[in-house]
Amino acid sequence: MEYQNQVAKILQNIERVMIGKEQEVTLSLVALLADGHVLLEDVPGVGKTMMVRALSKSLDCEFKRIQFTPDLLPSDVTGVSIYNPKEMVFEFRSGPIFGDIVLADEINRTSPKTQSALLEAMEEMNVTVDGMTKSLNKPFFVMATQNPVDYEGTYPLPEAQLDRFLMKLSMGYPNEVDEFEMLNRTDRQHPIDEITPVIHKEQLIEMQKEVDSLYVDATVKRYIVQLVSATRTSNFVQLGVSPRGSIALMKAAKAYAYIQGRDYVIPDDVVMLAPYVMAHRIILRPEARYEGVTQEKLITQILDEIDVPVRKELHG
Amino acid sequence: MTSKISLSSISSFILLLAGFLLFWEWLRPLEEVTDTGNSHLFVIYTAICFLVSFFLRNGWVKFALKFIALLLILDYLFLAETLLSREWLQLIKTEVSYNLEIAWNNDWYLMTAFFRSLLFLLLLWLMSYLLHYWFTVANKFFIFVVLTIVYLAVLDTFTVYDAPLAMVRTFVISFVVLGLSRYVKLMDNNETNDKQSNLVTWMLPIVAIVLFAALLGIYSPKPTPQWPDPVPFIKSTAGHVGFGDGPVQKVGYGEDDSRLGGSFVQDDTTVFEAIVHDNVYWRIESKDVYTGKGWERSSELDYAPLENGEVQWRTFPLENTETTPYEAMVRPESTNELPKVVYPYGINRIESMQRETFYMDMASGMIEAESSEQSPNRSYSVQYDAPSFSLDELRNNSNNDPEDIKQRYLQLPEDLPERVSNLAAEVVEDEESRYDKAKAIESYFAQNGYTYQIEDVSVPDEGEDYVDQFLFETHVGYCDNFSTSMVVMLRSLDIPARWVKGFTGGAEVADQPPLPDGYSLYEVTNNNAHSWVEVFFPDTGWVPFEPTSGFTNPTDFYQDVTSDIDTGDSSEEENATEEETSEEEPELEDAEAEEEQEDNLIGDLENNDNWNGWLYFWISIIVVILILATVAFLKRNQIRDWYTLRKWHKLTQKLEIEPAYIYLLTLLEKRGYKRRKGQTLRQYAVEIDQQLRTTEMYDLTLAYEQYIYRNQEISEDKSKLRNLFQRVIDQILA
Repeated sequence: MEYQNQVAKILQNIERVMIGKEQEVTLSLVALLADGHVLLEDVPGVGKTMMVRALSKSLDCEFKRIQFTPDLLPSDVTGVSIYNPKEMVFEFRSGPIFGDIVLADEINRTSPKTQSALLEAMEEMNVTVDGMTKSLNKPFFVMATQNPVDYEGTYPLPEAQLDRFLMKLSMGYPNEVDEFEMLNRTDRQHPIDEITPVIHKEQLIEMQKEVDSLYVDATVKRYIVQLVSATRTSNFVQLGVSPRGSIALMKAAKAYAYIQGRDYVIPDDVVMLAPYVMAHRIILRPEARYEGVTQEKLITQILDEIDVPVRKELHG
Repeated sequence: MTSKISLSSISSFILLLAGFLLFWEWLRPLEEVTDTGNSHLFVIYTAICFLVSFFLRNGWVKFALKFIALLLILDYLFLAETLLSREWLQLIKTEVSYNLEIAWNNDWYLMTAFFRSLLFLLLLWLMSYLLHYWFTVANKFFIFVVLTIVYLAVLDTFTVYDAPLAMVRTFVISFVVLGLSRYVKLMDNNETNDKQSNLVTWMLPIVAIVLFAALLGIYSPKPTPQWPDPVPFIKSTAGHVGFGDGPVQKVGYGEDDSRLGGSFVQDDTTVFEAIVHDNVYWRIESKDVYTGKGWERSSELDYAPLENGEVQWRTFPLENTETTPYEAMVRPESTNELPKVVYPYGINRIESMQRETFYMDMASGMIEAESSEQSPNRSYSVQYDAPSFSLDELRNNSNNDPEDIKQRYLQLPEDLPERVSNLAAEVVEDEESRYDKAKAIESYFAQNGYTYQIEDVSVPDEGEDYVDQFLFETHVGYCDNFSTSMVVMLRSLDIPARWVKGFTGGAEVADQPPLPDGYSLYEVTNNNAHSWVEVFFPDTGWVPFEPTSGFTNPTDFYQDVTSDIDTGDSSEEENATEEETSEEEPELEDAEAEEEQEDNLIGDLENNDNWNGWLYFWISIIVVILILATVAFLKRNQIRDWYTLRKWHKLTQKLEIEPAYIYLLTLLEKRGYKRRKGQTLRQYAVEIDQQLRTTEMYDLTLAYEQYIYRNQEISEDKSKLRNLFQRVIDQILA
């Protein structure tokens, strides 16, 4: 666990920019370390971009931004081959997806075709343009945002696509104290400009490997499985959390444990992450809405009902 | 601070004073109720004990002072010698050793006044200590108040002591003090500076209310007791109870037989002891009027004195009957107030040890001793001629009953159901002589499945006949059912008969005094109370019969053998043999029945004893269990803690973290700190630490987490871990 102690530095660095958003910052870092992607659902102007930029600057990563519009084409995302008359060859001009950290802004504004181009890239970790397969950068971290207020002319992400995001977050408005502090800091110069890298890209990749190697006990695994299957059997649920969701939860829990400075996962990690990892993977029945049940409430209820393992697994 | 101390000490002094006053109420009745003298000295001693307990802290000084006071009082009362002189000490030593020896031998009544006073003073000492503890330490005044009121009520009810004034005093003192002690308790939990003025505002209304209530209680009209005076009631319940009116009664001799029936419980209280030749039935009286429900007398009792104890009254004429003279000694149990004289058949003379005069009612044959003299020894001797009835003669009796006999002893209620007389006629269908008829009815019951039992015997309802009910419906009953039925059946056949009450012979006492040949000492208890039948034979007089199943007539009947030989008539002989067989069969049966009965009796007695023994055994077991349960209940927390620690020590010996930690969890849950299902160990630990004001639970949980979620042996120092556990446990048990 060579780089575990770097985590705190990263967080500190980002928090210089993001005031009062420790939770979201931590979760974003969790997603990054777990090699997953984040869907941010929030109104404009609450600092989504700022967080991603701060993250990428702290990690010495290349930051790319795609502003999704209805007329955006897949090739605008992935890149395109252009004929070079001089050399007489098609030259690949890589799109913004070939960045390390990609902000996909207002992803629900673009056509499903373009959306799927992005999501496929996220899943496959490579892009195929004109029959050529190009690997994406490593690390590769997408933070997609969608605006929950503005539904006019949007293309909501299909459920299958949502599943590709490790977690769904929302920033929310800062409280008054934090906002005041924010004004103070941005008075002269934006603090984002002062942020310097804490670690390098290569170190980040090492950190991801370390996260992967964290120990998850059978008791905790079983706990995750119990939680996930509980979402599938609930009466309010039309579609429960997929096995991909279980894996995601475990990976996220590992990353969170890593951030917490542990080399093993405890149920607390799972409990903490479950709402963020599972909520967007659940499709409720229509009647659940009438009952006032939301995905978050359902998960809280499941967490209350499933017994946290306090004994060692009895083998045999 | 000083005001607080003074207030609490004042209030505890008042409490103690009130306790002393109440205790005084306990001592007051002693002079009246017991033969205690100089009771003021005891009061003074109690006061000394109370004062010493209150003012002194040092246990040894307290002990010494109380002891000295005790000696001084004893010296003042009993010891003429100089205090602490050699003779004085010698005297005390003699007294104590003598009385201890007496106590050892259980001869309590020999104990001297000195020693009794000593013991009583010691009791007062103990009581004062106990009360001091109750009032000032435990602050429990109420128990003693209740006890005092109960004590006074009992004394007032059962003794000559008149308690109303004592009651009023107790009421006023105790309620004022209860108010005060409540105040003290409240103030203990409440930090107020202004306690003195609070006390006044608290106590004034209490005193006012108590005084008002006391005055109201004294001057308000009081209803008469709603319950009957318990003393006679309890006495009658505890003592000998007649065949009275309740559905369940105690067995025994009683005077009122107007309503028979109902169940009995056994009562083996001794009624009298008798030295007598053979087992005899003890007659008391006969009754002649059957009402359909029970027996009454046709005429009022008319006692005439027996001159020189000569009894002229006879149940049979002496000249026609073969008799043997005997003498019987009867000693009534002094505690048992049986005023009647019991006597065997053939009585001719009765003599009292105390030269008492006896009175006799000629109609019923009831003899009573002069009741004015309450002498403890009311023994008397009876001379009697035990009759032997010749069966031949009985059979050959004429049917010419005198008119007065017919008048009195053929009476039957008008509404006697017809089926009773029909049955009687049916039973005696084949019999010629009066004796055989009587004999047929006598044996009818036992031969036809009428069973003897004392429990679940019904009382005839309105419009039902006692005999009819027994004969045709219940078929179960005790002596009254059998004997009454026989009398009624005989009367329905125009055979004069009467109903006799008394006692059966009782049981021979195990260790017999030296007595002449054939004589034995019998003990007769209430269980031996009995009733049977006398049938009138014009030539022979009244002959006793015993219809009750399982009982045997002790009267001697004999077969006149010579007459058989003399006549030599074959038919007569045949008759005789017939008679003999017919006679013997019941006799045999009787004998068997007797044996059975005896077995039963013995068995019953043994069972009774056993049963009593077992009863006490079980009662004591139950009491012990109850006490243990109470103790366990009161000490449940300590017991639980002890158990917890014991189990805990076992776990820490090995220090397997999982059992230890899980045990901790269950322990916490039992103490009300329940972990919710979805609560992770960390969240729980934080919660517990907050509630117990510890930090150890969190540390422990971290260690446990490593073990369970990291699948790793404990890396931490084991002793450190053990300490963590120990501290949490201590905190839980604290």
